[in-house]
Amino acid sequence: MSKLLRSAMITAGLLSCVAPAAAAEITFCMWGTITGPDALVNGMSYGPRDYMEFLNQTKGGIAGNKVKLLLLDGRYKLDEELKHYRRCVDQEQAVVVNGWSTGSVKALRDQITQDQVPFMTQSYASEVLDPVKLPYIFMAGPTYEQQMIIALRDAAKAGGKTVVIMHGDNEYGRGPTTVVRQSGVIEKLGLTLADTVEFPYDAQDITAQMLRVKARNPDLIYVQGSTPQLIVALRDAAKVGLSATKFVGNSYNISPAIPEQLGAAAEGFRAIQVYSDFGSDIPAMKDINAFKANNKVEKEDVYYMKGWMEGVAISKAIEAAIAKNGGKVPEDIKAFRKSVRDELENLRNVDDGGITPPLNYAGHQGTTQARLAVIKSGKYVPVGDWIDAQ
Amino acid sequence: MKRSNLIIPFGLAIVAMAVSLMLGRYGAYLAHVVAIAAIGAMSLNLLNGWCGQINFAQAALLGVGAYAAGNFGNAGWDLFSLPAAGIASALAAVLIGLPALRLRGLYFAIATLAAQFIFEYLFKFAEPITHGVSGLLIQPMKLFGRVIDTDQGYSVLAIFLLLLTWLFMTWIRRTDLGRAFLVVRENEVVARGMGINVPQTKMWAFLISGFFAGIAGALMGFTARLAHPEAFGMALSVDYIAMIIVGGLGSLTGSLLGAAFVTLLPEVIQRFGEAFHIADQLSALREMAFGLLIILFLIFEPRGLSAIFRRLDVRRLVARFRPHSTNPVRDQTENQPKWRSVE
Repeated sequence: MSKLLRSAMITAGLLSCVAPAAAAEITFCMWGTITGPDALVNGMSYGPRDYMEFLNQTKGGIAGNKVKLLLLDGRYKLDEELKHYRRCVDQEQAVVVNGWSTGSVKALRDQITQDQVPFMTQSYASEVLDPVKLPYIFMAGPTYEQQMIIALRDAAKAGGKTVVIMHGDNEYGRGPTTVVRQSGVIEKLGLTLADTVEFPYDAQDITAQMLRVKARNPDLIYVQGSTPQLIVALRDAAKVGLSATKFVGNSYNISPAIPEQLGAAAEGFRAIQVYSDFGSDIPAMKDINAFKANNKVEKEDVYYMKGWMEGVAISKAIEAAIAKNGGKVPEDIKAFRKSVRDELENLRNVDDGGITPPLNYAGHQGTTQARLAVIKSGKYVPVGDWIDAQ
Repeated sequence: MKRSNLIIPFGLAIVAMAVSLMLGRYGAYLAHVVAIAAIGAMSLNLLNGWCGQINFAQAALLGVGAYAAGNFGNAGWDLFSLPAAGIASALAAVLIGLPALRLRGLYFAIATLAAQFIFEYLFKFAEPITHGVSGLLIQPMKLFGRVIDTDQGYSVLAIFLLLLTWLFMTWIRRTDLGRAFLVVRENEVVARGMGINVPQTKMWAFLISGFFAGIAGALMGFTARLAHPEAFGMALSVDYIAMIIVGGLGSLTGSLLGAAFVTLLPEVIQRFGEAFHIADQLSALREMAFGLLIILFLIFEPRGLSAIFRRLDVRRLVARFRPHSTNPVRDQTENQPKWRSVE
């Protein structure tokens, strides 16, 4: 490569840090975890990108306006995510931002309010859900606490008496379980908390913890962990003779990796299902398959469906904001962002093609409903109907 | 201290501050992050590059600074939060350095590694101070009654503190203590023979290094508005070691260049990927490319970017862009006036 070309590239890179993009464009900017510890569930960031691209290809964008898409790699690193936020808001002049980790949205929450930019978070942390104090932050589904309550309600309904909660030693593990324990909801449901067992989030063996859980003989063991932790938990549970049927995980535990890696040891394991799985018999799959016919779908899983659903909600809000402005994209990005925020909050009974029950963003959550799915013959099968956490 | 040693850094800092005020928010943030990293890299460079004490616990020191500044800032002691963060980290650094009185080389390096993990544990479990795994939310900094809530504001502050750090480091290197650092690094027996109090010299190195790491950590905390245990893990320590290796061990300019290189390399790779529509693929290769670059530096230029920078001669650089020709006479007659006009 010539030195001249190298110099030109460096100069272009530096200049691009200085010059902001044109304001009237519809820019949708997001960051996910293309690489990093959460890369397994990155379908969540491919989903909204692909839905917007689907609109670009089939409808010429939103209300006839092409959507400029930018997906960045946050690598689950706080400094990287904070950098991406600034790029999305300042340089790309995005009308909506879609961000990843709980840490980043917590760190950014005041700035999001200050910047008045609609922010769809992939996190389910209740700390960032406050339509009054944090009017620009929206999330897709039930919080971790609400997911836990759905599992507890199901256990109580089935006549269960004792519960053990297991969680990792990080914020994702400790935060929601502490909130639920302190809320008294377990006792209100007529259940007894037999024990709370913490394990190192990156542990490769938790047999000792499983022996302790077994000694409590609970009816339900709720695990607040991600897929890798669930694989370790179910494997070690099988070692000590604890059946997978007693375990329930959250919405991040609907992963083909669990039955694939554990085989029979995973049979009967249940997880919270907020979104219909990829390949389900729902109308949204028609669009996804049409998109797939001409494009590559990076991850074919339930997380991709969550992302697709977010794409539907965001595009509906942008469309409504444009309609309110006489069918034109507002030239003032601040006014456009505010209008999109208002329209997101006004979304009622939005049909996302059956991925979830109809969306309702009045409370800044697309849905508060979920159901349980059980692993049967190596596949997740929905059990019962949607349960509302509220 | 020579006048040029003051004028050039002052001039560059003023230009950098002015530019960061003109930049958009994103550009100012990048400048700010580089400045913070440079302060942290200089502090590590004093310890590793000058005094020869390997420290894998730099992230822990940054973390102590962030938590200290956050707590003081949230309590309304904004003005004192930066020096308080420096003092807290300096004390933590002295604690980490205590084994250096008995251990050397690899053994001491392992001791600092252990210290890094102990501090990570403390960040998670010392809940009254750190707010545990949830992290400590930090209010924007207030200086002289004015809230700093813009990236440009933090950028100017970070560049100003970088200037102070640079001047202090330049000064201390010329003092007896600075020279003692270098002798201790080269040979402790010789240092003792010269009458240098080796344990005391090492402790000074830890104390000063820790103080500036604390300042960098405080700035990190105020920028992120969150001090979180996961943000001060081992990977961050490795990043700082990479900065001083890539920049050049023992060199102040190297610390600055290394900090800019390590901080901005992911951005350059990202932009390159976007330009050629291969950003997703490059993301996966980025960490590998980063590791490879460090290996290449260690093999081909162990003195780092600072050595390359020193070798750079502006005249030679200009001459390199001169069009090649097989006719030396034409070169002299045709090209000379053109280059004169450029000069």
